[in-house]
Amino acid sequence: MEQRLSNTWRMTINEKKFIKTSLLADLRVDGRRPFDYRRLIIKFGSEDGSSEVQLGQTHVMGVVTSQLVQPYRDRPNEGTLSIYTEFSPMADPSFEAGRPGESAVELGRIIDRGLRESMAVDTESLCVVTGKLVWSIRIDIHILDNGGNLVDAANIAALAALSTFRRPECTLGGEDGQELIVHPPEVREPVPLIIHHLPIAVTFGFIGEENIVVIDPTYFEEAVMGGSMTATLNTNGDVCAIQKAGGVGVLPSVIMQCLRLASVKAGDITNIIKNAVKSFNTERSLRKIKRHNSSVIDVSETAQKVDVKFSTNHVNRLKLSEDSRVAQGNGMEVDGQISQKEGTSKRDSSAKSFIGGPSSWDPHSKGIDPDALRASFASRVVLAPTEKLEDSKVDEPTDIEPNQPIVDDNSYISPKEATNTKSKTNEEKTLIDAIKPKHRRRRKASSQH
Amino acid sequence: MAIAEPTNNSPSYIDKLVVPGDVVLDLSSMSNQTIKLGGGLRQDCDSITAMKAGMLRFSKPNKYWVESSQKRYVPSAGDAVLGIVVDTKAENFLIDIKGPALAYLPVLAFEGGTRRNIPKFEVGTLIYVRVVKANIGMNPDLSCMDASGKAAEFGPLKDGYMFETSTGLSRMLLSSPACPVLEALGKKLSFEIAVGLNGRVWVNAAAPSTVILVSNAIMNSETLTSVQQKLMVDKLLQRTQ
Amino acid sequence: MEFVSPEGLRLDGRRPMEMRQLRAKIGAVDKAHGSAYFEMGNTKVIAAVYGPREVQNRSQQLNDQALVRCEYTMANFSTGDRRRKPKGDRRSTEISLVIRQTMEACIMTHLMPRSQIDIFVQVLQADGGTRSACINAATLALADAGIPMHDLVTSCSAGYLNSTPLLDLNYVEDSAGGPDVTVGILPKSTKVTLLQMDSKLPMDIFENVMQLATEGCKAVANYIREVLLEKTKERQKFHGV
Repeated sequence: MEQRLSNTWRMTINEKKFIKTSLLADLRVDGRRPFDYRRLIIKFGSEDGSSEVQLGQTHVMGVVTSQLVQPYRDRPNEGTLSIYTEFSPMADPSFEAGRPGESAVELGRIIDRGLRESMAVDTESLCVVTGKLVWSIRIDIHILDNGGNLVDAANIAALAALSTFRRPECTLGGEDGQELIVHPPEVREPVPLIIHHLPIAVTFGFIGEENIVVIDPTYFEEAVMGGSMTATLNTNGDVCAIQKAGGVGVLPSVIMQCLRLASVKAGDITNIIKNAVKSFNTERSLRKIKRHNSSVIDVSETAQKVDVKFSTNHVNRLKLSEDSRVAQGNGMEVDGQISQKEGTSKRDSSAKSFIGGPSSWDPHSKGIDPDALRASFASRVVLAPTEKLEDSKVDEPTDIEPNQPIVDDNSYISPKEATNTKSKTNEEKTLIDAIKPKHRRRRKASSQH
Repeated sequence: MAIAEPTNNSPSYIDKLVVPGDVVLDLSSMSNQTIKLGGGLRQDCDSITAMKAGMLRFSKPNKYWVESSQKRYVPSAGDAVLGIVVDTKAENFLIDIKGPALAYLPVLAFEGGTRRNIPKFEVGTLIYVRVVKANIGMNPDLSCMDASGKAAEFGPLKDGYMFETSTGLSRMLLSSPACPVLEALGKKLSFEIAVGLNGRVWVNAAAPSTVILVSNAIMNSETLTSVQQKLMVDKLLQRTQ
Repeated sequence: MEFVSPEGLRLDGRRPMEMRQLRAKIGAVDKAHGSAYFEMGNTKVIAAVYGPREVQNRSQQLNDQALVRCEYTMANFSTGDRRRKPKGDRRSTEISLVIRQTMEACIMTHLMPRSQIDIFVQVLQADGGTRSACINAATLALADAGIPMHDLVTSCSAGYLNSTPLLDLNYVEDSAGGPDVTVGILPKSTKVTLLQMDSKLPMDIFENVMQLATEGCKAVANYIREVLLEKTKERQKFHGV
């Protein structure tokens, strides 16, 4: 018995009393106010679909994987979603290795309810062959460090991982058209999940006799609180799930107040998640472009003359402009979405081989002198990954002056202007974006003449 | 802490950082000397090697030890620590002092303690005690009296707030002259503080905000130099006043 | 599918704000220290309470309050398809946890330190609202066992289909995919102790549905009080007037 006694963590009476008395003065022990969240940091792994969330001292990891399985009999055209939690003893000495304990099961079910019943993830789009094959999405949550409020952190980790996860593209093909081909990511770009909304879990703790409410309780506050409530909401004003599993009784008016507070917090957290996912996606598409360029170079037969290192996109772009058709064909794949979004640009005449889009090179313009460009590009190494299309130059002459290297800049710019307004919201990075800064600089240099 | 010149001329590790396995003393070159080894050092035939990562210290005339900072405490006799009452037995109170084993506090180890006036401690009471005996493999013995039998400041601590730190930080808080954090805080605020060498600190003040400020300031000063500590305290005080 | 006909009748002929028929019987299990059988429409559950008794697993003993354990199982024959795992699956674990914490809020555990109270609830026939029926049955069983409680706990569920709040959903209405709100209250103070909800609902509609469920709980509370009073009167008669 002594061994068990010596290993359990316990709080002193002083701590318990102090937490309650300072809450009466609206102070929390770590200096927060009762309705403040701790600092939230979301990081992503190198693979699609893995996230790491830190909420104060709580540290949680989420990983999403997919598999083709047979659907349930009563839902033949829907994919499945399942959540597994791993409460590792490294996070807290009270967690036992092996079978998940009660709190692990509860956490898994709270997150599951928030995602599944509220239709946050579109399961019908996961169907491949009705009744035979569907995608099964599995979310694994690993608790790395328990600093209190595991539910919120785990929920954010699951949402972040789902938002960045991409499943392989698959088509039906083969001799009889019934064979399923799963394309590896190098051949076809993996497809993201369709997520309708983000259900955010906000946990409240009720402490003390007067049932003082605190948001995001820490480990110590959890040990002192009389009850807790987790409300899962999204930014559309819907309540997706509520879990108040017993504990101290609370007036219904307090519950409604908590829900209103939770919707405000849910908005904040949704923004943080969206920003993090956005920057991850931008980074990812940058990597994607580089990879894509090298494949273009290999494919292109006219990839002769230049022995340059294709380490800078500018040089790659140079290749493309010389073999425009091939380039565009490939460029199409990369900018597929964009080209559809943009209408045709001014250069309709060249439309037959040119699909509109942020690509600002005119394939029919006089070619650039490859060596000159190569020299100038290779000397500058600038990539502006977060630059958006709309911050292009101001007023530019739209007429094309031939026979000068600078000519091309202008011609590049003009179509960009035309597509400027259309592409305002488009953030998919393309080859051209990477080179844009150069052009702008050169243009400015030229406009100063 | 006097750093005297050692009497041998080994490539002195004194006041330098050592890691487990470093041979810090070679006894073959130091004959006819009695050396006292403190924590973190062990003897291997003729060489003394470090067992823990930390700074090697020497004090006249012949004491060597490794000073390291961890979250758990190694009980040693003479230390004043903060313990939490875990259970009450007939003869002893079982106290948790963050060591490998629970410590025993005899029910009579209080000033003027007799069988008739045994104090009643609830589970979870915080007590300031002194370690009397700490042998390897045995549960340490504690006492609420100092060596001469007086109560001194030992005994249960009421109210206030307790938080945990590393052993290194609590040693710094107890060092004299006063450590910069406490000095800076003491200039502007009034509070009571009890520091246990086992990495527990208790703070009490009239207003909860003072307590929270002091505890957060101390917890932040774990890795700061004295100048940084002063700046940190100033910033905290500014923000709240 | 239409769950509320234009005349305002549900699939089983009830009105939207009408509860199913309640039936309760105290003392269903002879061996247990307290037991009750509860029916809500076609949902039938049985609850048995053992305690307060000596803690079976010494390591889990709590020194200042009673240990409450709860086990929720569904009989193999309780649903249409034979259940392979009556307990131990994740849903049962979660509901066991929920029932335990709900009853813990109303049992005065501090009056029985170092003891154990076991609550076993088994679903004999499941037709929606099993959670609520189990909590109501457990309340009766605890009262039958004479365990001191702050107040009764009663529970009821409500949903929202075809733009109408519906009280006390049965299985067909529950599996329709609409929201399902389960509320457990302490009737005397109308404080909410259990609140679970799934699926999506805008906040103002949620408030209505929650209020409806709370009204349902109050109705159940009245019924339970009557049943208890009757049983107590019966017992008094036997034990002399």
